[in-house]
Amino acid sequence: MIRCLVLLVTISPVLLSCSTKILSNNYYQEHKGTVDSIERRYERLNATRQFSLAFTNKELSIVSLEIISDTLTRIYEFSTNEKRLADTLIKYNYDTTGIFYLIRKMQLTKVTWINSFDYYVNDLPQQLIILSIKPVTIRYLFSPPKYIALAYFRTPQSFDEKGRLLDNRRTRVIRKIKGQTFYKITDRICYTVMEKYR
Amino acid sequence: MRTQFKLISFVLLFLVSVNPKGFAGDLFGEIISTKEEAIAFLEKIDQTKESTIWPNIKPKLFYDNLKLNLGNPGSFYPGRSTNFCGYGAVAYLVMQKDPLGYVKLMNELYDKGESSFNNNQFKPSKEIKKAAGTLKFKGVLDIRHAEQMWFLVLADKFKGYLNFFNRRFSEGDENTFWAATNLAKFDRMVNKLCGTHVSAVGSDLIKPWVKDTYNYLVKIIDNKIISLYINNRIIHKNNHDKIKFSIPTHYIILKGIRRSGNQVTLRYWDYGGDTELQISSRTLKKIIFGIITIDK
Repeated sequence: MIRCLVLLVTISPVLLSCSTKILSNNYYQEHKGTVDSIERRYERLNATRQFSLAFTNKELSIVSLEIISDTLTRIYEFSTNEKRLADTLIKYNYDTTGIFYLIRKMQLTKVTWINSFDYYVNDLPQQLIILSIKPVTIRYLFSPPKYIALAYFRTPQSFDEKGRLLDNRRTRVIRKIKGQTFYKITDRICYTVMEKYR
Repeated sequence: MRTQFKLISFVLLFLVSVNPKGFAGDLFGEIISTKEEAIAFLEKIDQTKESTIWPNIKPKLFYDNLKLNLGNPGSFYPGRSTNFCGYGAVAYLVMQKDPLGYVKLMNELYDKGESSFNNNQFKPSKEIKKAAGTLKFKGVLDIRHAEQMWFLVLADKFKGYLNFFNRRFSEGDENTFWAATNLAKFDRMVNKLCGTHVSAVGSDLIKPWVKDTYNYLVKIIDNKIISLYINNRIIHKNNHDKIKFSIPTHYIILKGIRRSGNQVTLRYWDYGGDTELQISSRTLKKIIFGIITIDK
């Protein structure tokens, strides 16, 4: 017992100092086709009736659905094979087949969350889509989880020489989304690694 | 005696019908001023004047924002990823209680850099004056310059123990403990700004000693305004870990509650609009840390 305690005390600083490691260095390039098609499908579905999806358990079998209208946001949580999910989508006139296909694609690609955000340039509204991916990681005791977040802008963005997303080309101020610095993948897509998926 | 009673009833009825301040509020039973008075006040003032005191506030965005809040008090949006939710809930209540007072306060703050409201003196620091109008990537708050000013001014004025280590604003502090609101501070803000009696059960760490949360809320919702201090991370899970610190993170104004089987549906105001949430009775008990009751 004492030996175990000594061992635990000895290795605990090591365990605490280890951070979670994402196995793939190139997740986006490896899954580019599927991830981009998820974003495109969501963009199309969301344009007609706004919604967001998030998987709230590790197995990605429970989905949190936010149905967004001008006056009211409805938040529901369903198991993906629960009849109530389809009933709710039908009730609020959503493209049920399209959303079910999106949910299946998200589960297969480990996309844990997808949502659209508004932001403003020169006081005019713009939109971006953010999705989070749960990558394969090596995780140590007490180390936080890691998720890759991808931000899809509709227009080309400015980046500095280190590839960090800028507010605009003139001010060269780093633009943080949800408190995170994002890095360039293409002029329209950037990524960050976060401890939260949304 | 009977005639006297009829006469008194008639006089009371007459007074109520001619005085819209009596029972006209959507949320409060008694209000101090009306939306119409506030609109009339706004129409009389120059809405194009620039302010040297608030260098980053654009007059058009500022006054458009005031008009929007007047037209729809539920439009107050505390911003994405900020710690302004408590101030948002307070603003929502103040706007319902005294719209003219709110608009006058904001206009005087804009003109003179200081003002008072319900005997509360507001004299924001120069850092606040510089920051208002610069908050970005917070959703629609980016173009709501009056709300940016009000939330920053409130956070600068009211302090609680959560703000102990960060009392002076610096860039980005809208997302930090500088802007955090503990339960006692929230109660104090509502009491001082709305001038109504506020009581609460619960605390910042320990959940309220209420046997049946649903029945407790149902009993008081018709006679009081209810604000809930909740752990939003249970509703808005943001990682897949099962073990989490259970702490409250968010303030909402409860507008309705109903139960069907084990499912409880809450309708509440937060973030610029109403939300309807379906949760189990167990989750309802789990998320609530503070039940704040405000006299109507």
